[in-house]
Amino acid sequence: MSALLELENLHAGYGPTAVLHGVSLEVPEGGVVALLGANGAGKTTTLRAITGGVRWSGDIRFDGQSLRRMSTEAIVRRGIAHVPEGRGICTELTVDENLQLGSHLRRDRAEVSRDYDRVFEYFPVLKERRRLSASTLSGGEQQMLALARALLMKPRLMLLDEPSLGLAPIVVRSIFKIIQSINEASRVAVLLVEQNARIALDLSSAAYVLEVGRVAVHGDSAELQGNDSVRRSYLGY
Amino acid sequence: MQEFFQQLVTGIATGGIFASLALALVLIYNAMGLVNFAQGEMAMLATFVAYALINRGVSYWIVFPVTLVLAFGGGILIQRIVIRPVERAPILTLVIITLGLAALLNGLAGFVFGYVPRSFPSPFPAQSADLFGVFVSYRDLGVIAVSGLVLLAVYVLLQHTKVGLTMRAAAHHPEASRLLGVHVSWMLALGWGLASAVGAVSGMMVAPILLLEPNMMQSIIIYAFAAAVLGGIESPLGAVVGGFIVGVTVNLAGAYLPFVGGDLQLAVGLAIIVAVLILKPNGLFGRARVRRV
Amino acid sequence: MGFPTVISSFQTSEWTQALILAIAIMGLNILVGYSGQLSLGHGAFLALGAYISAILAHRYKMDYLLTIPIAALLTGVVGFLFGIPALRLSALYLALATFALAVVTPSLIKRPAALTGGVQGILVSQPDPPQFANDAFATVTGTAMTSDQWIYYISLFCTLLLFWVAWNILRRRPGRAMRAIRDGEVAAAASGVNISAYKTLAFAISAFYAGAAGSLFGLATGFVSPDTFPVSLSIQLLVGAVVGGLASIPGPLLGAIFAYFLPIESNQWVPSQTWIPAQITSTVKNAGPAVSYGVVLILIMMFAPNGLVGLVTSGYSALNRRLRGAADRETGQIPPDPQTV
Repeated sequence: MSALLELENLHAGYGPTAVLHGVSLEVPEGGVVALLGANGAGKTTTLRAITGGVRWSGDIRFDGQSLRRMSTEAIVRRGIAHVPEGRGICTELTVDENLQLGSHLRRDRAEVSRDYDRVFEYFPVLKERRRLSASTLSGGEQQMLALARALLMKPRLMLLDEPSLGLAPIVVRSIFKIIQSINEASRVAVLLVEQNARIALDLSSAAYVLEVGRVAVHGDSAELQGNDSVRRSYLGY
Repeated sequence: MQEFFQQLVTGIATGGIFASLALALVLIYNAMGLVNFAQGEMAMLATFVAYALINRGVSYWIVFPVTLVLAFGGGILIQRIVIRPVERAPILTLVIITLGLAALLNGLAGFVFGYVPRSFPSPFPAQSADLFGVFVSYRDLGVIAVSGLVLLAVYVLLQHTKVGLTMRAAAHHPEASRLLGVHVSWMLALGWGLASAVGAVSGMMVAPILLLEPNMMQSIIIYAFAAAVLGGIESPLGAVVGGFIVGVTVNLAGAYLPFVGGDLQLAVGLAIIVAVLILKPNGLFGRARVRRV
Repeated sequence: MGFPTVISSFQTSEWTQALILAIAIMGLNILVGYSGQLSLGHGAFLALGAYISAILAHRYKMDYLLTIPIAALLTGVVGFLFGIPALRLSALYLALATFALAVVTPSLIKRPAALTGGVQGILVSQPDPPQFANDAFATVTGTAMTSDQWIYYISLFCTLLLFWVAWNILRRRPGRAMRAIRDGEVAAAASGVNISAYKTLAFAISAFYAGAAGSLFGLATGFVSPDTFPVSLSIQLLVGAVVGGLASIPGPLLGAIFAYFLPIESNQWVPSQTWIPAQITSTVKNAGPAVSYGVVLILIMMFAPNGLVGLVTSGYSALNRRLRGAADRETGQIPPDPQTV
């Protein structure tokens, strides 16, 4: 049985600068996979390659189908939600309008309504701030909005780029708890890029560590956490 | 006092014309950061198309929406053929292309229809209505009503429909919108179509007053620039408010300031542009943008 | 150069106009191509130069040749004054404001009718060639020099002089400074370039050139009036600048030749070619210069933003690359827009 997302020997870069030198990884259906590594290792580039934001060679397969030559919009419509670095909040729009953009492709009205309820359960602050401009939200609240919006897309795979960035530890913990609930309740697969290796490994079942554009180490998250030398060499703790 | 009120109403009517064209400019500016120098010529050509249809005996109130649809289609075509291939080019390149487009459309209109001014019908009667004891022309009221309706329709479309939402998202946040499955490129085309249709309204409203000829919109676009700049080039609301302010100001200046008279009204438009850009470059409703290094 | 000795008087005056256009376009080029400020109102400066000369000559009986440098200088000063508020405008707003200026120019001229002659304009009497020129000409061709031919030589002289001056300015510090500003204001400022000084200088110089061109224009046509300076003139200048190639020295000359002769040739040359089908011919002939300008402008911006000169230089560098086998850096396109509000 093939995985939901497969990256095979992925090379990618910006113009003449190559960033990824043959990355292969898999995300199983409904699984949570962490993509770790230091700054500049190529984690963000990997996510961008998946949603067509960067030129790549090799293969990227989603649900068995190659994503080569597809536009970003088309890839996303296949069922991949990508919360980028910086969250991609539309600050010119209200919170509600941002959420509407999440669900705008869906036709199943009743389901959408239920998903809205669920989203507001997870993130009550979004319900309070519905009519306000998204630019008034704090960093943590914006992250919640980004997640909520991704949820409303009813994706089969979520790509999360550093959800903990710039957030207070307590906020990070609650967000990660919610990501876990989402994964368990809706069976949405997650590919999680994080610098905070510890919390990423707690959440994920498998992990890949990137170093200078290559996969240095990969395996079961629990094993990696238990392995002292791996932790010290690659994960920094 | 009677006369003042009449001039005021006429000013509001011309303001409606300016507001429509200014709104078109702002729509495209919001989508691409580009001032479309061809907006006036696009409106002029649409008005000529309306003229051709009316000449064939089609009723005005059928021609009006048909022209809007055709203008909409024309705007999309222009975006697909001329603008999209150079989407990523520097702004100056795009500006020059719109100038080329303006010259092209102007010449085209001259070629197909000639340069002799033609009269264009107004659907409103030529008499005056008695409004609270003041005589106001039906035509002015008609222009105010039509432009008001169109502006309102655009507002509703942009703020309260899904299409409008995706258009706004694509315009202000193209990258984020792509990640939400929005066909940004098509939204841009729609933006051009919508702008073109709104501009066509401006053309059809002004043609009965100015007489239809290829250079008809050249002064109107200046006023529209003034309105857009005054309102804040990114703000659709600003364009509308600016349009009415410019319309009233220019009209009253022409009527009551002897050194302005009829032929220097356009200079008043220029003066407004210069004054705003020097004193308050963001206009009434615009926001200061951070300079990106 | 010695054209007038071999071609008719009428053709001479055509080439005179092309040369004058080249001077104006050179000025515009300095502003747009080198310092990155898009002015669509250059026709206004031309009008200013033309009217200053015409008024001085007609009203104050000054020798016309003397009025040329005066008109150029005064227009340059006005350009400098324009440059100051222009500093605060982003590229787009500057384009907008100058476009408005171009549209308003005819009405602004008509107003002070006592000074400018209003709608009727001012007649400029064309001087006869001085004796020495006449003699020189006669020894070569055996006929007397006409006024038109004399004016041609004056224009030629001015063109050569002004191009030489431009070349010098542009290859020295001012040119480098302007190019630095065009390519990135913040970086240029960080390198110590005095942005305001060079931008206003660019305005002043380009207005100077336009004023000189306007002055010569009045001389060449014998007449100035508000309707000779419509907004399409400013567009024509821009077309010439862009087609010839911005940020180059030969560009303005090529562009001027193109901009001046395109409408004429499409009217005459095309219909005379029997191998072109009649429909195309009549369309081209009737569509007028505006369509041709528009199409050309669009095509050039899409496919050859560096204009004719750009095509030649990229062709040359492509050849060079082939011969030397070395990797080449991509040359920049039309000035990248300054990233301002």
